[in-house]
Amino acid sequence: MGEKMPIGDKGDGASFRVLIIDDSVFVVKQLTQILQSEKFDVIDTANDGEQGVEKYKELHPNIDLVTLDITMPKLDGISTLERIMEFDKDAKVIIISALGKEDLVKKALITGARNYIVKPLDREKVLSRIESVLKK
Amino acid sequence: MRVEYINPFVESSVSVMREILGIEVKREQISLKSKAVPILDVAVIVGLVGQVEGRVLFDMKMETALKIVSKMNEEELTQFDELAKATITELGNMITGRAVTKLSEMGYRFDVTPPAIFSGHNMEISDVEIEALIVPIETSYGRVEINVALREK
Ligand SMILES: [Mg+2]
Repeated sequence: MGEKMPIGDKGDGASFRVLIIDDSVFVVKQLTQILQSEKFDVIDTANDGEQGVEKYKELHPNIDLVTLDITMPKLDGISTLERIMEFDKDAKVIIISALGKEDLVKKALITGARNYIVKPLDREKVLSRIESVLKK
Repeated sequence: MRVEYINPFVESSVSVMREILGIEVKREQISLKSKAVPILDVAVIVGLVGQVEGRVLFDMKMETALKIVSKMNEEELTQFDELAKATITELGNMITGRAVTKLSEMGYRFDVTPPAIFSGHNMEISDVEIEALIVPIETSYGRVEINVALREK
């Protein structure tokens, strides 16, 4: 049988386009490696919420998914999410959170986030959550 | 300060370091310090605000910090640069997250500030009023000291 298609492949040869919003260069690096290994196109990264909202607006509608850190300086994850959802109610945003932030994660899901991932980032977990968000 | 506050931090440090770094980790004897604590080369500090307040400090030599971040990045880092700082911060986040979950299961309610990093020689942290409990953790990358100064509000 043929090989399984990479999760980042839209099916027409193009890749799903992802914006990573996270203030940690370590997390950005980890996420980028995981996503690129499955042929996702990490089109841009932002290291704070304000920059993240700006970049989302610039990229829209040529963007498929946002990974959003919940704790960031300047503009936190929840406020960033609110601004993105206000601009595009169909935005697909997945939250990246540390353990122990359950209240914030709940708030994000109510605000419109499609799913969440708790750190430490595990490759399989990251990919399956993202896949379920993109398939819906 | 009550010893029950420090245990969740020690337990989560041991388990996170074992899982994430895959190294030997052994807990040493607890000690009490009431004066200013000179820090080793790299310190990650997390603040707690709420029903329990104070701070938790993870302290280590530069050599140890570089071994830890190199392992986590799967590449050798020789300088304590932005990537190294972000990496050790994430380790702090993981340890604190797990400890906080345990403490809230015990019924304590509070918020945690994002970890701050201090690096350099001859630095001192002084906490007026709160005495600190220190638990050294011996690892194959060197010693990491967990220094907890917390009190119930
Ligand atoms: Mg962050």
